[in-house]
Amino acid sequence: MTQTKIAYPFEHLETGLTPDQVDVFKSLVREVIENPNHLEEQKRLALTDAAFKTLPYLPVSDDALAALGSGEICLLGEGPAPYHPRYVAPDYEKLLREGSAFFDLAPASDLYEAVTSLLTVYNYSPTSGAPPFIGKLDELLEPFLDGLTDEQARPVLKSFWTLIDRLHPDAFVHSVLGPQGSRAGRLLLAVDREVQTITNMTLRYDPENTPRDFALLAVGNAMQLSKPYFLNHPLHEAEWGEDYIVASCYNIMVLRGGIFTLVRANLGEVAKRFDGTLEDLLENHLPRLAEIQIEIINSRINHLVEEVGWFDQSIFIKEGLLDPEKFTAYAGVVGLNELVNKVMELEGQPDAKLGHAEVANQTALKIISTFKEQLLSHPSPYCRGTDGHVTFHAQVGISEDEGTTPGCRIPAGTEPELYAHLQAAAPIQSLVEGGVSDIFEFDQTAKENPEAILDIIDGAMALGMRDLSLGSTDSEYVRVSGYLVRRCDLENRQEEKLLRHDTSHIAREFFNSQPNTLHRRERQV
Amino acid sequence: MDSPVLGRINNILSHSFVDGPGNRSVLFLQGCNFNCLYCHNPYTINFCDACGVCVASCLVDALTLADGEVTWDTAACVACDTCIEVCPNLSSPKIAVLSPEETWDRLKAYGPFISGITVSGGEPTQQPEYLKALLRLVKQESDLDTCIETNGKMCPEVLMDLLPELDYVMVDLKAFDPQIHKDLTGQDNAQTLETIRTVSEAGKLHMVRTTVAPGYTDSMENIKATARYLAGLDPDIHLRLLRFRPHGTRGVAADWGSPSDEVMDGLVAAARAEGLNRVDRSM
Repeated sequence: MTQTKIAYPFEHLETGLTPDQVDVFKSLVREVIENPNHLEEQKRLALTDAAFKTLPYLPVSDDALAALGSGEICLLGEGPAPYHPRYVAPDYEKLLREGSAFFDLAPASDLYEAVTSLLTVYNYSPTSGAPPFIGKLDELLEPFLDGLTDEQARPVLKSFWTLIDRLHPDAFVHSVLGPQGSRAGRLLLAVDREVQTITNMTLRYDPENTPRDFALLAVGNAMQLSKPYFLNHPLHEAEWGEDYIVASCYNIMVLRGGIFTLVRANLGEVAKRFDGTLEDLLENHLPRLAEIQIEIINSRINHLVEEVGWFDQSIFIKEGLLDPEKFTAYAGVVGLNELVNKVMELEGQPDAKLGHAEVANQTALKIISTFKEQLLSHPSPYCRGTDGHVTFHAQVGISEDEGTTPGCRIPAGTEPELYAHLQAAAPIQSLVEGGVSDIFEFDQTAKENPEAILDIIDGAMALGMRDLSLGSTDSEYVRVSGYLVRRCDLENRQEEKLLRHDTSHIAREFFNSQPNTLHRRERQV
Repeated sequence: MDSPVLGRINNILSHSFVDGPGNRSVLFLQGCNFNCLYCHNPYTINFCDACGVCVASCLVDALTLADGEVTWDTAACVACDTCIEVCPNLSSPKIAVLSPEETWDRLKAYGPFISGITVSGGEPTQQPEYLKALLRLVKQESDLDTCIETNGKMCPEVLMDLLPELDYVMVDLKAFDPQIHKDLTGQDNAQTLETIRTVSEAGKLHMVRTTVAPGYTDSMENIKATARYLAGLDPDIHLRLLRFRPHGTRGVAADWGSPSDEVMDGLVAAARAEGLNRVDRSM
């Protein structure tokens, strides 16, 4: 087999680090420790990651190896052999109600104790770093506001919110609000408006039941901070039950559950090599790709559960904060746009682009529904949270994705008119239960008229849109595909200054590969 | 000739956040009875007189002159706006002529995303029959609310005829002082002030807007007098002061500057001091 580069030059899928690559490894270690642009903690993480990736990858078939080598299948930096799940959704309500023997925390009796318990457990997230889900914060904290005035509660929430960002400076840390309005929810939105952290946030929005003034407050935040996301609550509740949550970028899962692994298919890479008919793609190519993707996913789940014995050793399982019956894995996809446009080209319709031509939109639906059906036709071990099958997810993209559009989106800067964009995106989004989003940026007039944005959100949800990332073209924050970055950090990244937020490093590279991410439209009378 | 109920439409915006409550689709009708020095859309003032100047200027042959009418080929047009620039008549050949039913056919797809329809211009009440028929049709066919943006100069009969079909009216009061108003627009403002009063009494006055134009309407006296008049009608009338911006203007106004934040904030404070509770300004 040929040497296959994954992330580091010394990595090898089958053998791991070989003796002839030891010097390469050493020079990388030296490069990391001498990098003036990283903090010590960031260096430690980089060293850990490099050491981990000296191992051989889990054994898979030759076809799977080839797909990993070509980039058609990508492990998203998870490395050779997972020793922890990718995402988890701990039951923080149980933590606050019952306390935790292991973490030496008593049941929380007031707001101070509640935020102390939460911050403690965030610090032990059994994932790759920062906690990807930090709770349905309004529901969690509302009971502890009893007897406190807003003036008493607000400073506590402000320091809690500040600490989350300072201790876990990572835009993949995700909080959830709604669908009900509450004092805690309103205070958290106000605090976020004031503190302006990078922490991610979703409002589970129910057009019928979320109080309009609460939703308008959230729209106001979105126009300022590009968060929260607006998630179609009735749709997700119907599919996932009441206890679903959002983690990381916009990833849907069940509370007390988790995602073993996220392995994605890069349809943009498929498009580069594909030269057949649509029929050939749907009947042969995609089923084969799905089979390979599932093979790789299943090997990783088996390793984590059976070799590592993660369910047996995890404190989060022992403490009852997570439940093995609620886990699943993501089969992700990116680059739908590139594959659709390639197929249209091969079908003799090069001008029919995704989002702009009905025939292209219909082709996208065929590709996505066929691929998903194929993925779900295979059993996946221990995915008991989703009936023994993986969950389909529109992956947000990584910085190396040059020329590949995130998830199932239309490329930034080339979207059609607003309503046409929503109408094209909604049926695609409806097929992706495990998380998908499209970004909509409005000019500054939106800031003065949040009702208008809510009108658009309501219309979008009626169409079946799942998740809207909303922002203003002149906001402090930029939504880079799925996570937030301060505009000033992007500028600093260009100048190679020290950055506190890990995700700012990724974002700069993302901007280099997706230069149209920042765009604006102008009003014409 | 066209039947009188056909509308002459300069443009349709699918969404706008500045033309009434919530998100709105906006219809800009051709034709205006004012000729403001600072008009930001001067090509909406007159109806096309088929002089043909634009036809010769079109770079992609999207315009033709036949039977005394200029015809616009939307498929060939590249939206370079050369025709508008060369028009000697403050008009545009890019006009859609639609019945109310045809107009609604274009608007109704926007329904799920909007609060309502706003008809602007030009001056929408210059096409009163079409306007009334369209507003009535919107009400019949949907739950959308209706709004017009008007300069307020219309016969009381026209206003009374339109009001039942309207949920909101936004009136541009170009200047409170009649002479300044005449200098700015070529017309007096008596009917405009009367329109404001009538609409306010009907409970449908969404907003009064005044553009703060240097040398004309940026004086404390003008804004105070405006605020006093409005507060006398209803202290909760929403007055919005719009900062003059030169883009889109032609003639003398193209050289005017924009009032500073300090000037704008000072005028807002002065208006509030006259007892008008809801005064703000554009950014």
